[in-house]
Amino acid sequence: MANNHTAGTAARTFAPSELCQRMLAKTSKGTCGPCILYLEDGTIFYGRACGAEGTATGEVCFNTSLEGYFEVMTDPSYAGQIVTMTYPQIGNYGIDETDVQSVFPGDAARPASAPAMRGMIVRDMCATPSNWRSAVSVPEYLRAHGIVAIEGVDTRALVRHLRDNGSKMGIISTEIFDVDELAERLAAAPTLVGENLVKTVSCPEPHEFAAADLPATHDFALAEAAPARHKVVAYDCGVKRGILEGLVRAGCDLTVVPWDTPASEVLDMNPDGVFLSNGPGDPDAVVETYEQVQQLIGKVPVFGICLGHQMISLACGAQMEKLKFGHRGGNQPVMNLVSRRVEITAQNHGFGLLFPSLGKLIPELSGGETEHAADGDLRTWVRRGIAPVVMNERFGRIRLTHVNLNDGTAEGIQLLDAPCFSVQYHPEASPGPTDAHYLFTAFTRLMDGEENYLDIDTAKDRLAGWNFAETAATETEEN
Amino acid sequence: MPKRTDIKRILVIGSGPIVIGQACEFDYSGAQACKVLKEDGFEVILVNSNPATIMTDPGLADRTYVEPITAEFIERVIKKEHPDALLPTLGGQTGLNAAVELAKDGTLDKYGVEMIGCDLAAIERGEDRKLFNEAMAEIGLEVARSGYAYSVEDAEAIAERVSYPCVLRPSFTLGGAGGGIAHTHEELVSIVSQGLELSPAHEVLVEESIEGWKEIEMEVMRDVAGNGVIVCSIENLDPMGVHTGDSITVAPCQTLNDYELQRLRDYSIAILERVGVACGGSNVQFAVNPEDGRVIVIEMNPRVSRSSALASKATGFPIAKMAALLSVGYTLDEIQNDITHSTPACFEPSIDYCVVKVPRFAFEKFKGASDRLSTRMKAVGEVMAIGSTFEEAMQKAMRSLEQGHAGLGADGNDDFDEESFAEKVSEPTPGRILYVAEALRRGWTVDELFAATKIDQWFLHRIADIVTAEKRIRELGLSGLDADHMLAAKQMGFSDVQLAHLTGQREDTVRAVREVLGVRPLVKTVDTCAGEFASRTSYHYFTYERGGASEFHEAQKPRAIILSAGPNRIGQGIEFDYCCCHAAYALEAKGYETVMVNCNPETVSTDYDTSDRLYFEPLTFEDVMNIIEVERPEGVIVTLGGQTPINLAKRLKAAGVPIMGTQPEAIDLAEDRDRFAALLDKLEIAYPPSSTAETVDEAKSVARRVGYPLLVRPSYVLGGRGMGIVYDDADLVKYMAEATKVSPDHPVYLDAFLEDAIELDVDALCDGDECYVGAVLEHIEECGIHSGDSACCFPPFSLSDSIVAKIRETTRRLALSCHIRGLLNVQYAVRDEQVFVIELNPRASRTVPFSSKATGVSLAKYAVRIMSGEKIADLGLPAEDADRGYYAVKEAVMPWSRFPGADVTLGPEMKSTGEVMGLDVTFPKAYAKTREAIDYDVPQSGTVFLSVCDRDKRSVAPVALSLLHLGYKLVATGGTAKTLKAAGIPCEVVKRISEGSPNVADMLAEGKISFMINTPHGHSSRGDGAILRSEAVSRGIDMATTMSGAVALVQAISALREGPLDVYALQDLPQAR
Repeated sequence: MANNHTAGTAARTFAPSELCQRMLAKTSKGTCGPCILYLEDGTIFYGRACGAEGTATGEVCFNTSLEGYFEVMTDPSYAGQIVTMTYPQIGNYGIDETDVQSVFPGDAARPASAPAMRGMIVRDMCATPSNWRSAVSVPEYLRAHGIVAIEGVDTRALVRHLRDNGSKMGIISTEIFDVDELAERLAAAPTLVGENLVKTVSCPEPHEFAAADLPATHDFALAEAAPARHKVVAYDCGVKRGILEGLVRAGCDLTVVPWDTPASEVLDMNPDGVFLSNGPGDPDAVVETYEQVQQLIGKVPVFGICLGHQMISLACGAQMEKLKFGHRGGNQPVMNLVSRRVEITAQNHGFGLLFPSLGKLIPELSGGETEHAADGDLRTWVRRGIAPVVMNERFGRIRLTHVNLNDGTAEGIQLLDAPCFSVQYHPEASPGPTDAHYLFTAFTRLMDGEENYLDIDTAKDRLAGWNFAETAATETEEN
Repeated sequence: MPKRTDIKRILVIGSGPIVIGQACEFDYSGAQACKVLKEDGFEVILVNSNPATIMTDPGLADRTYVEPITAEFIERVIKKEHPDALLPTLGGQTGLNAAVELAKDGTLDKYGVEMIGCDLAAIERGEDRKLFNEAMAEIGLEVARSGYAYSVEDAEAIAERVSYPCVLRPSFTLGGAGGGIAHTHEELVSIVSQGLELSPAHEVLVEESIEGWKEIEMEVMRDVAGNGVIVCSIENLDPMGVHTGDSITVAPCQTLNDYELQRLRDYSIAILERVGVACGGSNVQFAVNPEDGRVIVIEMNPRVSRSSALASKATGFPIAKMAALLSVGYTLDEIQNDITHSTPACFEPSIDYCVVKVPRFAFEKFKGASDRLSTRMKAVGEVMAIGSTFEEAMQKAMRSLEQGHAGLGADGNDDFDEESFAEKVSEPTPGRILYVAEALRRGWTVDELFAATKIDQWFLHRIADIVTAEKRIRELGLSGLDADHMLAAKQMGFSDVQLAHLTGQREDTVRAVREVLGVRPLVKTVDTCAGEFASRTSYHYFTYERGGASEFHEAQKPRAIILSAGPNRIGQGIEFDYCCCHAAYALEAKGYETVMVNCNPETVSTDYDTSDRLYFEPLTFEDVMNIIEVERPEGVIVTLGGQTPINLAKRLKAAGVPIMGTQPEAIDLAEDRDRFAALLDKLEIAYPPSSTAETVDEAKSVARRVGYPLLVRPSYVLGGRGMGIVYDDADLVKYMAEATKVSPDHPVYLDAFLEDAIELDVDALCDGDECYVGAVLEHIEECGIHSGDSACCFPPFSLSDSIVAKIRETTRRLALSCHIRGLLNVQYAVRDEQVFVIELNPRASRTVPFSSKATGVSLAKYAVRIMSGEKIADLGLPAEDADRGYYAVKEAVMPWSRFPGADVTLGPEMKSTGEVMGLDVTFPKAYAKTREAIDYDVPQSGTVFLSVCDRDKRSVAPVALSLLHLGYKLVATGGTAKTLKAAGIPCEVVKRISEGSPNVADMLAEGKISFMINTPHGHSSRGDGAILRSEAVSRGIDMATTMSGAVALVQAISALREGPLDVYALQDLPQAR
């Protein structure tokens, strides 16, 4: 869009000299240097540095969550990306590092639990946070982890630009302001398509994760874990801690294994179920994982989230599409076609399953329908109240269980002839609404061999994960 | 689940008159509901006694009953209209209470009416503290430790258990009326005894205090399929202890992390499910301990509330409209998001800006009442501001208030109480936020301030940044503000006025420099999705950003801007919003692209679908000019939004802005007393002798010339602000001493006060060639009572045709001489068949909606058509003197019970918050309806107490005689009793309070008085009378404080004796269209 594009070019004349230092230096912002954001299409935004010094490239994406910025910052799925927060004031309640989502154990290149994102873009960064749990401010954290960040950007203009023109590669720098040099550097940076980012965030060695690993700092809000009843092997493609915690709280003891662990090794562990995690980037590039999945389906109950859902889909031979600008936020409505209830979900993905590519519709299980809708919009099933089933060449009948109500994309599938289901969105939320927490319970029910394992009353499950007051006020009844 | 087909006719109950705690947010919600249900093919039957609303416009519902919201009257409507369903959740507490009564007494079952949106059990669980607490305990949620008291002794026992301080909440009262915090035993006894009286259930909850905790509200929507979404989280800047309606609030929540917030989200939905809200909008309030995250559920409203209105405006998610659709069977996923038109309503809005709401108070009107804020709501209105950051939104909100602030101080208007500065910082009062900023200026640290106020440090740090920046701007001076610094200053929310003050320049200079530097605000859009999807709705705000990414888009049609009325306050309320909405409708019909400007989140005018474009912006010169420069309108309407836009008119005109209709010169002529008097002299129209004075001595000499009593007031005021009647030199001296504070640049006006004159309000239209007198309204109270507080009647019930004709003619001459194009309002006094002009307002008046509904002629709409070039001759209006065959009475609603300590008398300064209308075939019947509508329960028998001032002694006998014939027993104070006995009317004599016990106050306390007639005169009977009147208010005893009011009341009682009053739909009246 033209006027957004000019946001950059017009900004050149605003090239910051001292960035209102004389006015802001004594405020909580303190003295901070200039920073620039340059997009591959030539759009420029100037602002102030609010993280580490340096230069970073990545795909510029945006997240619409109003809070939960720390969970976003440390989500391994943001590997290779520069994250824009659409809520303008970020860092307000500071950081409690036990909320970290990365479980990366650390290696020579990156310390343990380090954020995987490349950079951050905000409108206004808070240096003086306030919350009883806060131990460190976001700018301090970013500097400590070497993440470049820019503030003072018209993030709404940037988001509208990305919305209208699609995702863009971008570069942010606190040291290079020469546009040509930025363009060169950006051109040399790898793009996300076709790149396997999973191996950069997966754990190198297997490790255990159980109730003892749950942070005590969450006890004020979260319920105790259910007794461990299931042994689950979790493929770590960049797994979020929230997922591991969700599985543990539902009663699973986990063995977390690297992204390319051979299926035979996993089956040798004789697990009750296998979990496939979320992860960054282009699913088509994660061949080593979905090839294993192909060998696991049918042999052991399998549950996949996000990239894990894509791995199951690819194992079934399905095709993926790159979404125009992805789903990233905490307010995406998803219709559960089985329960007919809407779940408000947290999402973070730039690629998605093309449901028709799983196979031909089975008319008797799809309301008599024989052909997939030409426009690919799955909301037609929502309107008709049908959860359609296709015949997949490899694994038999597959049902569409969840559909995104905003754009009609596939959000979840269930294999009817094998114990396997998956969702594109994030039931662990972290951050975001926890409407879909029931899916962890569903997985344990699947492992228990229950037929209708997905059939759960979400209203009853809603409060299950939270910690409640020890003494509810019963005294009122005395009078 | 799709729309229900078994329902065809739906009864919607409104919220009645505007009162504190229940304001025009329910016009917004009710209007949305009526509109959407009608569009969806339902027949809508509306009951609402408030004539000032858009909701009661005959076009909005199919059948509109401006009748009292009582079970009795609603039953009559049900009997007549046979609705299939009743929707009670959009009319606030009043609507809900009426629905509960109808359900409980079996009326709904009797007529086969289904309650939709909520059922009786759910309402009771939501509203009854005991049932609610039990429900919370069942799902394991914690509520504050508490107990119910049915007597003061109960309360004492519970207080021992939960320890002081404790919070006291009477059950089933509006906006927490009667509640408070008791820090001591003494306070406990005082609040509880009052609370027991106010509570219909005679029940007061005594609760552990969680003062100082964070207060968080969640706005929830749920549908019948069990889908729940949180529309918005709201964090109160003022911690627990201040009613949320009186708190500065911020959306979204700022200081809770994801775990804390998602937990509240799930709690909220679970609470709705447990309480049993089948579908619709509700709000849930929580207290969060800032030290350990402990959560306590405060309350939930199983209905649309004030916060829902705020959340709707803050996010663009129309909660009321959705709630209405959900109640007829739709589910959230079946409804489209109104803003994006591409995504469903079943989602949680994401916003990419910060919203701040600041309440507006009116303590200056209620001398003697404490301005300390508590759990009992006292605000009369509110403003909302949108900015990219809290800093920007906070400053914008402060200048939206129209209370002389150009931001968070630093505008040359600071006035601090030096003696009790520290107390003013720590005590929650309307001005506390300014003290907080000033404390930071004076070197208090954030920690010190936190200790004193318990306001979260995050907010304090943000304010500290504003104050720091302010200091630097002062040092840099205007020349030191390059484009970059100017942008940074504007991003912090500083107005041009503040920058001018800080740099010692003029506002125009700052604006000019800003222009040269190219620092202009950008148009941004409220779109529910943080820009993720394209939106089609033009709901805008301004903010300052680096770059030029404006979301302004051109229109094919010419644009007209309507400047609305800003925050509700006493003297300027919903009536002007009504006029502005009509302007939007009329201009749209004329082919304009309509642009609305307002900052009041409670209104219909700030609904994004009322006009083509909405700018949610402060109504200051700077902010309005920003819009005008972007929109380049063909015309701007300034005469429909009350005094707010009128005050801007002159500057806008000077800046070359085209003003539609009456020009600022005419406004000036009418408001300049000397020029206006000269005009009246020229036209040979009588007016009360008057003069002006700048000093006490001048005033005294005027008094000698004109004679007492005198009506005194400062120039350029609204709602009679600072007005008084003085009877002698002593009064005058006292008044002059106080008046100088009100408006230092303007002199004081002194008018001869026409005692015992009949006052009239006239609303008329003028097109420059012709004038149409829409309505002549006769006041019931005599001259000296502010027209906004006086009851009035259309058509006049006591004036001769020749007087009315003379008034029409005078109005016509005045309108033409003043070159009015649009609406005008003239106030007259009639004494001894002589007509005096009191004042002329060349703009829409407070009575326009009432006049329009009483006559069936939509005056605001026609005014706009005239402003856009049409002629009265072509409008096809009915004859001015057409006989409608019915009477319409408007009665004011007073907020006395909110301001204990303030005197309960009517005077020249307006104090009412709202009004009701009664419509019937005779004046007494219509007047009786207004009493019913205000919820004054007129006892049909018992004892009437009479005590009238000397002036009224002559006229008291007939009133007393009528009362006697109606079967009442009479008691009177000595003087009055003497008059009555002389007239042969038996009555008991009772002592005045000052005469010792047992006296009339004891009788009141013992419940021996059914109602009272007590008229004050000057200051002579202030002492005793004031105590009596406030006693009566606190005990809910009806009273008349003027003789004419008493006469009308007696007539009304007689009318009620004749049998039940019929109900009338506006659509059935002859002139309705």
